[in-house]
Amino acid sequence: MLSIQSLVKVYPGPVAALQGIDLDVPLGMFGLLGPNGAGKSTLMRILAGLLEPTSGRVTLDGEDVLARPERLRARLGYLPQDFGFYPHLTGEQMLVHLLRLKGVSAPVGQQKLAGELLERVNLSYAARRKVKAYSGGMRQRLGIAQAIAGDPRLLIVDEPTAGLDPEERLRFYHLLAELAEGRTVILSTHIVEDVAVLCPRFTVIRDGRLIAHTTPREARAALDGAIFEGTVTPAELPALRRARAVTQAILVEGRHRVRVHDASGAPPPGFEPATPTLEDAYLVMMRASGGANGAPAAGAPEPARTGRAS
Amino acid sequence: MNARRLFEVFRQEFRHSLRRPLPWVLFVIVGLLAYGMSTGNATIGSGNTAVGGTKAFITSEFAIAQLVAMLVGIIYAFFVAVAAGMSVIRDEELKVGELLHATPLTPAEYVWGKYAATLAGFLVVLAGNLALMILFNHGVPHGENAEVIGPFAWPNYVRPLLLFALPSLLCMAGTSFALGTLTRRPILVFAFPVATIVLGVALMWNWSPSWLSPAVNGLLMVLDPTGIRWLNETWLNVDRGVDFYNSAGVGTDGLFWMNRAVVVFLGLGAVLLTQWRFTATLRGTRAVRRGRVAPVMAVMPEAGTPRSEAAPLASLGMRSGATGFLAGAWQVARVELRELRTHPGLYLFVPMILAQTLSSVVSVGAFDTSLLQTPGGLAAEAMNTLTLLVCLLLLFYTVESLERERGTGFGAIFYATPLRTGSLLLGKALANTVVALAVLLTALAGDAILLAVQGKVPFRIEPFVLCWGLLLTPTFLVWTAFAMALFALTGSRYATYALGLGALTLTGFLQLRGRMNWAFNWDLWSATRWSDMSVFELDRLPLILNRVMVLGLAAFFVVLTVRLFPRLEADATRAMHRLRPAALARGALGLVPLLVVPLVVWAVLWFQVEQGWEGRRMKKLAKDYWRQNAATWTNAPLPAMAAVDLDVMLDPPHREFRVAGHYDLVNLNGRALEQIPLTGGFAWDSLSWTMDGVPYQPEDRSRLYVFTLPRPLAPGGRVRLGFRYRGGCPTGISRNGAGTMEFIVPSSAVFTGFAGPTLVPQLGFSGEIGPEAKDRPEPRRYPDDVWRDTLPAMLPLAETWFDTRIRVTVPEGFRANATGVLESETTSNGRRTFTYVTDHPVHLFNVVAGRWAEKRGEGATIYHHPAHTYNLEGMMQALSGSRRWYSEWFGPYPWRDLRLSEFPALRNYAQGSPTNITFSEGIGFLTKSEPKADAAFWVTAHEAAHQWWGNILVPADRPGAVVLSEGMSHFSTALLVGQLKGREQQLAFLRQIEDQYANTRQADSERPLTRIDESRAGDGRIVYDKGGWVAWMMMRLVGRESMLRGSRDFIAAWRDSRDHAVLQDYLAHMRRYAPDSTAYDAFVQQWYWEVVVPEYRVSAARAVKRGDVWEVRARVRNAGTGRMPVQIAVVRGVRFADAGKQQEPWRDARATVVLGPKESGEIVVRCGFEPERVVVDPDFEVLQLERQKATARVDLEKEAVAGPPAAAPVRHRV
Repeated sequence: MLSIQSLVKVYPGPVAALQGIDLDVPLGMFGLLGPNGAGKSTLMRILAGLLEPTSGRVTLDGEDVLARPERLRARLGYLPQDFGFYPHLTGEQMLVHLLRLKGVSAPVGQQKLAGELLERVNLSYAARRKVKAYSGGMRQRLGIAQAIAGDPRLLIVDEPTAGLDPEERLRFYHLLAELAEGRTVILSTHIVEDVAVLCPRFTVIRDGRLIAHTTPREARAALDGAIFEGTVTPAELPALRRARAVTQAILVEGRHRVRVHDASGAPPPGFEPATPTLEDAYLVMMRASGGANGAPAAGAPEPARTGRAS
Repeated sequence: MNARRLFEVFRQEFRHSLRRPLPWVLFVIVGLLAYGMSTGNATIGSGNTAVGGTKAFITSEFAIAQLVAMLVGIIYAFFVAVAAGMSVIRDEELKVGELLHATPLTPAEYVWGKYAATLAGFLVVLAGNLALMILFNHGVPHGENAEVIGPFAWPNYVRPLLLFALPSLLCMAGTSFALGTLTRRPILVFAFPVATIVLGVALMWNWSPSWLSPAVNGLLMVLDPTGIRWLNETWLNVDRGVDFYNSAGVGTDGLFWMNRAVVVFLGLGAVLLTQWRFTATLRGTRAVRRGRVAPVMAVMPEAGTPRSEAAPLASLGMRSGATGFLAGAWQVARVELRELRTHPGLYLFVPMILAQTLSSVVSVGAFDTSLLQTPGGLAAEAMNTLTLLVCLLLLFYTVESLERERGTGFGAIFYATPLRTGSLLLGKALANTVVALAVLLTALAGDAILLAVQGKVPFRIEPFVLCWGLLLTPTFLVWTAFAMALFALTGSRYATYALGLGALTLTGFLQLRGRMNWAFNWDLWSATRWSDMSVFELDRLPLILNRVMVLGLAAFFVVLTVRLFPRLEADATRAMHRLRPAALARGALGLVPLLVVPLVVWAVLWFQVEQGWEGRRMKKLAKDYWRQNAATWTNAPLPAMAAVDLDVMLDPPHREFRVAGHYDLVNLNGRALEQIPLTGGFAWDSLSWTMDGVPYQPEDRSRLYVFTLPRPLAPGGRVRLGFRYRGGCPTGISRNGAGTMEFIVPSSAVFTGFAGPTLVPQLGFSGEIGPEAKDRPEPRRYPDDVWRDTLPAMLPLAETWFDTRIRVTVPEGFRANATGVLESETTSNGRRTFTYVTDHPVHLFNVVAGRWAEKRGEGATIYHHPAHTYNLEGMMQALSGSRRWYSEWFGPYPWRDLRLSEFPALRNYAQGSPTNITFSEGIGFLTKSEPKADAAFWVTAHEAAHQWWGNILVPADRPGAVVLSEGMSHFSTALLVGQLKGREQQLAFLRQIEDQYANTRQADSERPLTRIDESRAGDGRIVYDKGGWVAWMMMRLVGRESMLRGSRDFIAAWRDSRDHAVLQDYLAHMRRYAPDSTAYDAFVQQWYWEVVVPEYRVSAARAVKRGDVWEVRARVRNAGTGRMPVQIAVVRGVRFADAGKQQEPWRDARATVVLGPKESGEIVVRCGFEPERVVVDPDFEVLQLERQKATARVDLEKEAVAGPPAAAPVRHRV
């Protein structure tokens, strides 16, 4: 188990990126959901041993990974949010290089293993091309290939689906799901769908604090009977936003298809009850923490406890 | 171009450039240099070095121009290269490029804005630099340096800035900016400054042999980006006198403006090219070469690509484990090497360094002739060059290698791998070592080819392994580790460059100031000297200790780097905690074990240096000797040497000797002597003395041993002083690898017997021992008629003839040579004893030993290193020829033997002691002798001439006398070269010594030959070269036979005299042999009592054909001083045809003119051939400056239809 205790990170400024995170991450897929600037990448980089926290403790299976990051690295698969490769190497050479650096071995040998991994991310056809000729999506897939290489005890993927087309995103979902067996996979994302699809549990982070720790099912269940959907004109929307907790507003044929949250079960006129989605839950959580357009909404999922979230 | 946007780019870049450490570190460096230079260490080579003489101001426009040009070319260049070259690359790395270029900003605005801002940043530094120079020179000047500080004048600072610094900076910034932007390769931005230094040192700045054609010289002046060559060649190489430099501005000419125009065009043209290419690549009409920032190709899966359902990942059976240390390092190194292999930098820098390394083929040695290249010489000579250039490359490659992950964005993945930090750094270091290895191997191959082309000396790998492998490698290791540590500490590419370049600059500055010693000389700069005969024997211990210290430091830096390497981005709060004194102390304590080795070795080296023969201890002993005795014993009457008996046991393996012997002294003074002082060696022990065979304890006055005689020694009385001791020479280590004239090392021993109290006691007190240069008094001035007195000999030892018996015992395998003839040679207990006795008295004696081969010739034998056979024929010809011809010209050679013994090049010199000449291997034996310039012959002939001029005729201890030994030996050499080698070589010899005189004289310091005493800068060459040349001119005046007869009679008259000759005695003597005493007096007055040198210029040379005759007219001007009849020749063809070549034969027609200072006249010469050139003094009869300019090509005019022939064959107007 990955255990995070009182983790604080303050950047010069000062900017408190993490304000005392306590979290236990069990085996399997775990989502870290939050808006831009919430502190997700800071947390990921600390967990990956690339960033020194101001204080706090992180253990993996009881071992302090902050004190001895080298012990973690041998068991880590990491896909950063923003990364590059040596442009003068081909994709295959780059991957083989990383396999060697990570000490990854396989019965088929490293060269063939690299080929297999490239196949998994649908890059076989570009294996001999230099990385400098890769598109953003191809680079992302190469990053995924290196992250899943070996048998990482802990896999950290930071915004992994950015830049992937829907087909590749789906492929990656399958890969992650497969990898989640018997290991900890932390998926950091601001895309709610990623969490909805993959993560049996997730945490919502905002302004360096954990504001919720739940499952997609619980999050949705918490809004049962409190989500209503209707259509308003663009002129009516501002007034509705002021009066109600609008979770989503989608423009369809010149009118807004709007979902509102009302814990009392009293919908605005013309609105019908709707099935809550994880996105509804996420946005309600954001509002509940004082973020999205107004006061905390009643009936929102429980914020993370002040104690440990697990 | 929109001015507002241009300014916005400029403003942002300028602000950024001032926030970077580069300009600030540069500012600190140049500030320190400005302070250092203000102490008077940056004067131009002019001025009167006498006390109270006019000195060259460090504030003159010439001095500032020279300094500024050097600073910009050597130091600014690298900082500007980083800043300008990385400007666009940085934007690409920060990924702001595309954003910027999506705005209305045009490429032109972007390129010129950035270039201008970078340039402006360094102009600010330059302005600050000049301000500091003004402050240190005029605001808070050093009190001691008042004489080199001139009045403040703005133009002295502003004009060099505008004329030299600004165009050079424009060029350097522009070319580096272009290289960085066009290639996007950070390493390549250093190409231009490296090329500037490489070509500058090897070719551009100072390389100017006398045979270089003016056209090539002019081309080099135009191409030099710094302007240094133009300054040197136009104004500084030939001394114009200190008043000129102190007061005049740097006058410009067409070549200068052409050079500046080329430089500015190159810089701005490079930026323009960048703009054009940038525009093209930005809009996609051309591909950017560099891959990292290449436009991303949208590569889609190919149609029909099968997408089979992959097996589960688990089926791959992947396992992870910690990467092994070495395996990880090797993997990192492999990828780094792949990057290096595809990198153009390596292919650019290596040839540059090779060119610099091989530039030794154009380096010159004795008499400006090429040196014979040997493996050891090449290896050792290249060390400084390789050290500087490879260290620069290692800095660039190391920093860029460490920066690569950050630049490519690969760092987050790379640093999260289990690769150990040590492996990571080792891998990168290994790869960068390949850069050094490639340079060394290329240089090695180049040297091997050089030796093969030379065809004389076989290639050997051992010297290269020793010099480059064992000595240079630790330098490269410590430098790489240092650069890594800097990067780890600062985390900044720019700060690392700035501090690294700063460290190199500081090291260079300390080297130039002579502040370096073994304890600090981490790069062994100028601390090694190669000898085939004695491979690092003299300073082996400090060399080993220094390398151990450096390796220890390297280990320390490596550990420091591993600890500090920013793989984990540190937390600011924790970092502050770590900087608390207690935490720092704890961290430092952890590093202490690593510092033990370098610190202990450093302390040992420091102690050794202080205790060594150049250390404070010896200096104090010497100073005590001088202070205690100078007042009492300077010029005290001394007895003369009557006989010398020495028993010398040399123990080369232990670098020791034992001496026992005695001097028989006779009082030749007019009154009795009560005391006799002898100077003893400072490194002798177990010293005991006897007087007339009885043990005696003289008064020890700080190594001046004063013998008080029981009864005053009456005139004519004799006394025998005996001595016994053991010692070494030199004892301990040097300060920083200095050579030494006398020494005993495992392979050899050389003792002159008169240069100092090293092997034997010296008669009397020596004022040369003790005072430092600044404490040394000006030499005594004597009245003009001092020569009429009875004068002492140049050395007390040489006051009279005396006999010697010298027994030298050496280990078996050695041979010893000493003055005299070999009386016996015995072997006992593995040691050989050679006994030499004089068959004719001598004035000097010496001892030399080594393991030699012998070459016997007619009346002479050469003892040489077995491998040094290259010049033996020429040297033997000179020795044998000297015996024959000098005997005929100057009187019989009085001794039976004439030996020449080679010794290790621990200092390059030769000495012509009686019967036993000693030559350093670097003199003669390893000179590259050419058919047209046989330098080995020349130098041998010179030393052999000392048997007459110096040994038989001993000059007096008075100004001008030394010309009788050195100048007359040069004159003798010119005669012998003509006699045995022919006219062409004779003129070549005269040309060489004329050039040497012209290039080293200091117009203000130069004194007449009759007053010269070798105490001032440039005196040495005046004594040798001018002394020889003027005697040559005198021969033209009095006639060859009269000159030789007069000289022969002079030696005969003075050889046994108690009075010793000075130059005036010779001049008075030779007057009797002059056919025209009036002309002779005028000549002597001009050339011996005054300082004059003509400098002829020919202009407006044109010819018109009248019938069958060409009438040539030209204007000749004496831009120098002196008034001499000089021949002007109209010539065609080649005077001395190359063997086997069909060349047009030489034809000439001549006229003679007499031109005084600044006088000019028109000459008219008629000749029966189509003229090519007008040449002044074709037969080298008048010593002059810049002879290469005393010629002009003749313009042929249309044939005259009719016209009167010239009224006279020759006429000139003055």
